[in-house]
Amino acid sequence: MTSLRREPSLLLALLVVTGLVLLFIVYPQVRVVATPGGSGYADFFSGGSWVRPLQNSLSVTALSTTTAVLLGFVYAYAMVYTDMRGKPFFRLVGILPLLSPPFVVAAAYILLFGPRGIITYHVFGQSPNILGLFGIWGVQTIAFFPFSYQLIADVLSRSDARLEQAARNLGAGPWQVFRSVTLPLTRPGLGAAILTTAIYVLEDFGNPALIGGLYTVLPTQAYGLISGFGDLSGAAAVSTILLGLALVIYVAKLRLDGGRQYVTVSGKASSIPRPPVPRWVSWAAFIACSLCALVILLVYGTLVVSALTLAFPTNLGFTTQHFEYVGAHSLSLRNTLVYGLVAATLSGIFAVFAAFLVERGHWRGRRVLDFLLIMPAAVPGLFFGLGYATAFNEQWLDWVDRGALITISMIFWNIPVGYQAAVAGLRQIDRSIDEAATSLGASGLRTFRDVLVPMLGGSVRVGFTTTFVRAVTTLSVVIFLFTTQSTTATITIFQLVGDFNWGGATAFTVADVGMAIIALVVIAVLGRGRVSLGAARG
Amino acid sequence: MTPQLDRRSFLKAMGIVTAAAACGGGGAGAPAPATATGAAPTAAAKPSGRISVYSALNESTNNQFVAAFKAATPGVEVDLLPLAAAGELQTRIKAEKASPKADVFIGGDSSFHDGLGKDGLLETYESPAASAVAKESKDPNKNWTGFYFGIFGIVMNTDRVNKEVGGAKPTSWDDLLDPKWKGKLILGSPITTGGGYIFIATQVFRFNKDEAKAMDYMKRFHANVAQYPGTSPQAIQLVSQGQFVAAPNWAHDILTEKVKNPGIDLAIPKGTGYEIGAVSVIKGTKNPVAAKAFVDWVLTKEAGELNVKLSNRVSVRTDVPPAPGAPTLTSVELVNYDRDWAAANKDRLLKLWQQTVGI
Repeated sequence: MTSLRREPSLLLALLVVTGLVLLFIVYPQVRVVATPGGSGYADFFSGGSWVRPLQNSLSVTALSTTTAVLLGFVYAYAMVYTDMRGKPFFRLVGILPLLSPPFVVAAAYILLFGPRGIITYHVFGQSPNILGLFGIWGVQTIAFFPFSYQLIADVLSRSDARLEQAARNLGAGPWQVFRSVTLPLTRPGLGAAILTTAIYVLEDFGNPALIGGLYTVLPTQAYGLISGFGDLSGAAAVSTILLGLALVIYVAKLRLDGGRQYVTVSGKASSIPRPPVPRWVSWAAFIACSLCALVILLVYGTLVVSALTLAFPTNLGFTTQHFEYVGAHSLSLRNTLVYGLVAATLSGIFAVFAAFLVERGHWRGRRVLDFLLIMPAAVPGLFFGLGYATAFNEQWLDWVDRGALITISMIFWNIPVGYQAAVAGLRQIDRSIDEAATSLGASGLRTFRDVLVPMLGGSVRVGFTTTFVRAVTTLSVVIFLFTTQSTTATITIFQLVGDFNWGGATAFTVADVGMAIIALVVIAVLGRGRVSLGAARG
Repeated sequence: MTPQLDRRSFLKAMGIVTAAAACGGGGAGAPAPATATGAAPTAAAKPSGRISVYSALNESTNNQFVAAFKAATPGVEVDLLPLAAAGELQTRIKAEKASPKADVFIGGDSSFHDGLGKDGLLETYESPAASAVAKESKDPNKNWTGFYFGIFGIVMNTDRVNKEVGGAKPTSWDDLLDPKWKGKLILGSPITTGGGYIFIATQVFRFNKDEAKAMDYMKRFHANVAQYPGTSPQAIQLVSQGQFVAAPNWAHDILTEKVKNPGIDLAIPKGTGYEIGAVSVIKGTKNPVAAKAFVDWVLTKEAGELNVKLSNRVSVRTDVPPAPGAPTLTSVELVNYDRDWAAANKDRLLKLWQQTVGI
């Protein structure tokens, strides 16, 4: 990117992006942070009820992030490097855990693996007490590996096969190539994956709420303060602690990837295939992915069976009556689809553009914008929505459509993953490519549109997919924003769960998740031609 | 945001009509008497227009409840915002105070309404129908009125109780201290669920606020507890599935689940706690007449009977019989539950409890 001064359009674009970030990410959070006031913070911190949840949050974040990133790496490596069978199947299954509406999926885990679980007790005769640290750890590993899988797969698929081929030609064995070529090349992707996964684990509320038992973490404490006791001030103080932790993780990540260069896409087109991996690696990858897929399918299978039986697991009579709720609440399903699609499209585009401005710019304050674009990941959805409800509920703003406000909140809450993917992607693209375009007379924006975006197709896709599935399954963001007309599928599921209507809740979840999968498949089919335009993909 | 705009223009039109009516009748000096068409004795104007109701009642109660109100009060439209979580609704009303979107808040323990009242976010209103409500069940400051009771009981998995703990229903909270319950009990987490905290407060009141005795009880109880799940409905679900054997929880929710799974049962030990479910009018409502008409209707015998039928809760009205199998405030022995004290001492008690059980 050339100087901002020479390109007013670029400067204008930067101002617009900064303005949107300030208005829709910073301002609502400032309102939340300001809620307790000085005395509120003093009371809360001197009370000390936050110490234990803070310790718990740190432990569980360290454990779950490690296993989720490891699993994500194995999954991504298997998908990109090996020639194992069934890749399209594993690709779809790898997204499923993101499609987990709160309260329903964690409940399915307990049905399967609880003290009287179908697998644990009825198959193996064991009664494990899974509520607590181990339950959270296990469920979060499955729930969050898709983030790291998507980020790492994007980076791996863009790495240059020629370097690995060259290493093999020079006599390196497969393991040596992996250790000294493949692994270092994925460093920006790994850093992004660890950061994003850690922040999302830290902020996770749904899984600890249902499977944590008394193992209280900061988000469940904040939720409990609001839900059980109406203590808004204390809850906002907990949210502030989470923001502080996110800042710490962010600084740690900056140290992690230092100032190194990771260029792997140079100007010359490459069509060399990757060196084949040993057969046993393909098989090991296949077995690992299959085990992972088995657990995921068991969980979703439980939901489908619950939706089709009278009262699972006590009454297994077949019925379709639960699906009557789907017809009765079709408005919420339709809203969910519309908000999700609009938010995902805009979020994906905005994330890549913002990444371009930050990663290719030379202006001051880039790091601040960089952090602000990752920060939403650390804000529990409850507080993101609360910030919007506080900041944008003024009389002179009453004309604003609530559906639009919900969509905007989903765009900015879900920016981080797409943004991280785009930053990691841009770091792998040699700047000489930008320079070639600009020296041929293209403006900075034109270079972005015609040269970089086609090469970043994968990153846009990661942003789109993540935002879409999270928008479809978020309850906490909309809980303070929805109205009768702009209600969403997750609100309906929450109501049915609260009504002890497990059949109705699972039927609605199946409809919601099914709708999301169909939408993703349709988009993938429609978008295939466009995505493959990226000629420089490895 | 068409509903909002509709509502606004409608209210404007309403205002003109009411003003015209007032001018027309103003000649004689006294307002003209309201035409006595409706059963509800509204003072000056006939309720009309649209109201927005934030409801913490169960989903299965909402629709029929509102339909019955509309049938009893023709001309009033209701926008119902359903969220069976009173804490979230309370927070939402606080967040919206710059431009209130709700006219009425219904359902949830009175402490959630009381918090809003103390923040000045509720319109004081004493419904004429509140004369049928005992004074302990309504706010002396007239911010809210109680309309149902929720009683705390125990959900049991019948099959496992019979096989593993001898089959007898617990009749007192002390029965749960028997070692035969070890590892078989669960309780909604006192840190994240209102019910879990009510359980602790109930023990304190049972020992006449002797906190040492109450904490000794909680310590011995803790020895039998396998888990403290994060939400109240989840605790019932886990017992219903047979993952655990019994859990202290809300009687009305237990009865609702029992309809779906007859394999569970309800026990009410003596000396139990309860909540008062309330209804209140939001300050800044643009349609106070219709909002108050809604409160008036909620307090009628007809609405009380409907709520009992739909939710298994207990009406505050003594002339409404309880649901089959449901306890009433007179059929069970209650503790002297001091709501203000419980709210004021929450943080301290929870910390004391955490120290006591060592978590």
